[in-house]
Amino acid sequence: MIETQPRQEPQQATRHGVVDCDVHPSPRGADEIRSYMPMPWRDRYSGGGRGFFGNPVHGARLDSSPPEGGAPGSDPDFLRQQLLDEYGVAYAILLPRAFCNLHPDPDFGTAIAAAFNDWLAATWLDEYNGDGAFKGSITVAHQDPAAAAREIERWAQHRHFVQVMMDSGARAPYGQRQYYPIYEACERYGLPLAIHPGTDGMGINIQPGPGYPTHYIEWHTCLSLGFQAHLVSLITEGVFERFPRLRVVLVEGGVSWLPGLLWRLDAEWKALRAEVPWVQRAPSEYVRDHVRLTSQPLERPASDQQLLHVFEMMDAQNTLMFSSDYPHWDFDSPTHAFPKLPAALHERIFSANARALYGLA
Amino acid sequence: MEGRSIGVFNVHGAYYGLRNSCPHQAAPLCLGSVQGMPLPSKPGEYDWARDGEILRCPWHGWEFDILTGRSVFNPHKTRVRRYEVRVETESDDPSVETYPVSVEDGLVVLRT
Repeated sequence: MIETQPRQEPQQATRHGVVDCDVHPSPRGADEIRSYMPMPWRDRYSGGGRGFFGNPVHGARLDSSPPEGGAPGSDPDFLRQQLLDEYGVAYAILLPRAFCNLHPDPDFGTAIAAAFNDWLAATWLDEYNGDGAFKGSITVAHQDPAAAAREIERWAQHRHFVQVMMDSGARAPYGQRQYYPIYEACERYGLPLAIHPGTDGMGINIQPGPGYPTHYIEWHTCLSLGFQAHLVSLITEGVFERFPRLRVVLVEGGVSWLPGLLWRLDAEWKALRAEVPWVQRAPSEYVRDHVRLTSQPLERPASDQQLLHVFEMMDAQNTLMFSSDYPHWDFDSPTHAFPKLPAALHERIFSANARALYGLA
Repeated sequence: MEGRSIGVFNVHGAYYGLRNSCPHQAAPLCLGSVQGMPLPSKPGEYDWARDGEILRCPWHGWEFDILTGRSVFNPHKTRVRRYEVRVETESDDPSVETYPVSVEDGLVVLRT
């Protein structure tokens, strides 16, 4: 069994308020990332997003462009003003969008991931982070799991990196063994693994579902399909038996599908357990112990009561963590995205669950 | 006005007032975009119309009819508070002094 090394957590005063589990900082431009790259990647890299399936309306909140110029999410003072100060956010978990998981050249993907990590560490986690409100995600290129594990090791003792992150876009479901070096590193250093949408069907990655949809509205709605397939794979391949201290965060992958999927999987397991005998407990129990979901974009049925029932079905008081997705177009406001919650449940979702997962004071 | 932020829109020379707060998550609507919209149409057809009459929320992109405050996707239930705007000329120009004038026995009499 692999021993978890406790992470070094320096003394830190308690910061009261919301923990926002999905915030997107941007570099000021591709040149800022290039400055952290060695040759030949510095010449090769020209920035770039996912390519297709751009939002035809607008991709970021129109009011999130910094007044001094630059891309949404590129000005730490404006982000603090518009998100942290406006809503009393104590901690923002930062997930930069490197789009490195779509490249066919694994060395290029790894170089982009490393440059984003160097940039985040030097800027948002250091220069802009006097009060420690910003916590980072270690970007990894899952095309090369061994290199990804080395990248995790490079940052594991950094006090402000609190998780590892890769896209939901992939060439194979995440329970499969080629990914295990990543999970082994996450477990060894006590870092949760966050899965975030971004390169599904892009570059080398397979489009989940029956093929490429025509429109952004289809692609974006169906992002949750990839998350469901990854979750079923992680459980049935026995990843949480092999890595008993691994924790997975499903970011921006949807919320309300969870109860129905687990009912189905639990039912299948009763009959098919023998096919995967290492699945020693009901699948839903692994979710309770190993998996957390972030809330945005929270589904809102016509009746608030129906959503509260879903929260009960999915054990939201233990599994759900608030996220805004700032500054993206489908931002969920901490004060308006949820129906009125009982105070104890609100505290769990908006603060306590994330503080426990990430070890935040 | 009275603690409420209200946007005034000039649509082809006519003025309309809308509350500067989206009924969805209270985003500042005045920072959205003013444009037209593709009308509901048959599959595969695009019928662009109503240029300058549609306000899109700066966050989630919901479309509102500036003329009525009603949303495009559910005009009966989802709407922005609308305020009447009139253009009035200011009467009683204070820069011109007036004096009472009367006609007495065929004479025009002005008293100061």
